This record gives sequence, C-alpha cells and structure tokens, in this order.
Amino acid sequence: MMYKAFFNGLTGAALLALAGAASADDLVLENAWLRAVPPVSPTMAGYFTLRNDGDRAVELKGARTDIAGGAMLHDTETTEDGQARMVHLSGITLEPGDQATFAPGGKHLMLMKVASIPEAGEEVKICLTFTDHDDLCSDFPVRREAP
Amino acid sequence: MLTVFRWWPVLAGLLLLAACAEPRQELPVNTRLGGDFTLTDHHGQPFRLADQEGRVVLMFFGYTHCPDICPATLARVSQVYRNLREAGDAEAVQPLFITFDPVRDTPAHLSEYVPWFKANVIGLTGSEAEIRAVAEQYGVVYLQSGDGAAAEYDFTHSDYVYLLDQQGRVRKLYPSDFNIDEVTDDVQSLL
Ligand SMILES: [Cu+2]
Repeated sequence: MMYKAFFNGLTGAALLALAGAASADDLVLENAWLRAVPPVSPTMAGYFTLRNDGDRAVELKGARTDIAGGAMLHDTETTEDGQARMVHLSGITLEPGDQATFAPGGKHLMLMKVASIPEAGEEVKICLTFTDHDDLCSDFPVRREAP
Repeated sequence: MLTVFRWWPVLAGLLLLAACAEPRQELPVNTRLGGDFTLTDHHGQPFRLADQEGRVVLMFFGYTHCPDICPATLARVSQVYRNLREAGDAEAVQPLFITFDPVRDTPAHLSEYVPWFKANVIGLTGSEAEIRAVAEQYGVVYLQSGDGAAAEYDFTHSDYVYLLDQQGRVRKLYPSDFNIDEVTDDVQSLL
C-alpha cells in the first residue's frame, strides 16, 4: 500500500515536472496559472487550456483545491455596450478533439473563500473534476501576468 | 531608373523623418462625460478630483472581490504608471480606482489592496449614493447581482478606463484590455 502510493506519487511527479501542465491518457492540461492578487483578496482566478485527445466526450464540472472554500467555472461575458458580468457555468462538454480555453476576460476558474492567498512564484495544486472521468490535477503557478 | 535607386535610401529616410516629426493628432475633449467629484480615499481622507489639477489621471471602476477583469485592469494601469515613472513622468500622472462596492471595499480594505500594485494607485470609495453619482457622470452602469445578504455577490459593470487631462476633462476611453503602449503614448501626448 505504502509502496503503491509512493510509486503513484513518483509517476505523478514525473508527469508534473512541468508546472502548469498535466495529462491523463486522454486529457491534456496546459498553460495553467493563477493570477496573483493582493493578500487581502478573498477570490482568485485560474486559467488553462484543456484538450480532449480521447475518443469519448468528457464534461468538465468544476475543480477542488485545498486553498479555497469553493471553486466554480465562470465566464466573463461582455455585452456590446461594454458591460462585463460573470456567469456560472454548470459544465463544459469537450467532444473528442475539442479544446477549452480559460483566459483573462473570459472563462476562468473562480476560487472562492481563499483562506490564505498564495504569492507570485508559489504553486497551488488544483484538481479539475469531471463527470465520468478521474480528476486531473496540476500545480498551477501563481503569476502576475499571463505566461 | 538608376538615379531613383541611388536616391531611394535617402528618400525613405526623409519619409521616415517626416512620419516621426508629424505632430500627434490631439485627443479630442469628450464633453458628454466627466466632471468633478468628491469621494473618500483609501486613507479615509476626502478626495476631490479637482485637486489633481495639473496631473493626467487614469481612472477606472471595479471592485476588489472581482478576481478576473479588475486585477488584470489594475495590473495594466500599474504597468502604464511604471512605464511613465521610468520615463521620469511619475509626478505628472495619477491612477485612480473607484469601487462599486463600498460595503466590502472600505477605506481600510482598499488600503490593503491598492498598494500591492506598487503604482501609487489611489483607491476611492464613498456612500452608495456618492459612488452612483460619479458613475453616472462618467456613463458607467453597474448592477449588483447575486445575493448581497450572503456576502457572495458580484457586479455587472462597464469596464472602461478613462484618460483625464490636467483640467480633469475626459480625453479618451479604453476597453479594460487596452494596449499598454497606446495608453502610455496618449498620456505622454498630454504632458
Ligand atoms: Cu468569476
């Protein structure tokens, strides 16, 4: 049991050698990062691209991380008259070959009730959660600017 | 033909010089938006826009519980400020951040938030009525969404950045994902 956990950890470490990237057999997560914000902030936004290289559809449902009391998929919609608003996405379906891009001013991972805001340069383990698929975890580097 | 070829580099050089020397198009004054106002700064002191006379102001509205657009915009405005500081123009420009969310964004909260951006940003708050009035002056629309009682609410809001000249007149509006060099150049064109 111990041995297996260690071995899994090792494989995981090898996969995560590049911060901000991870892959399962069929899902590829890249360009993951969290925007650095002042320590007094209660929320943080995370960004990434997720590609479905598998042969069946998957649905991204949300995320979990130890640093936040909650995590949601959000989109920032900007209307024609320049009004921006955040909307909650209940899930994003990725057909085989599809890619979802989470980027500033658009879709973002919203971390709420963050007890202690990490600083730029730190890394935060975040696991994306799916319907009918294992979680996909990666270390999100905290950055002041997009990579 | 040969002559043209021989003179071409000189001609090109002259054209380039002409392009550089051409005076910048002066930014028009926006007469529909703007005006003086008084709010409370992040030190809890009254802040009057007219007291910034002689300085170019970069101003925008937001709220600190917004994790996506607001910190990104603040970071970009801060970068413009740092560019100007490197050029020796820091004294001539003042970034302002006005909150929509006076309930959560108190002066005490703003005083922990804005200095982090290291760009001399002044955070401004006030009563809901005061903030509403300033927003109207500048054509900013905002609406609280979600459950205010649950302390988990957001704002749907306009996210323009305003360039005000040394007399406090609106000279240009930018989208929140503005080009940093463009804004830096526009500020310098007013100095
Ligand atoms: Cu959000």
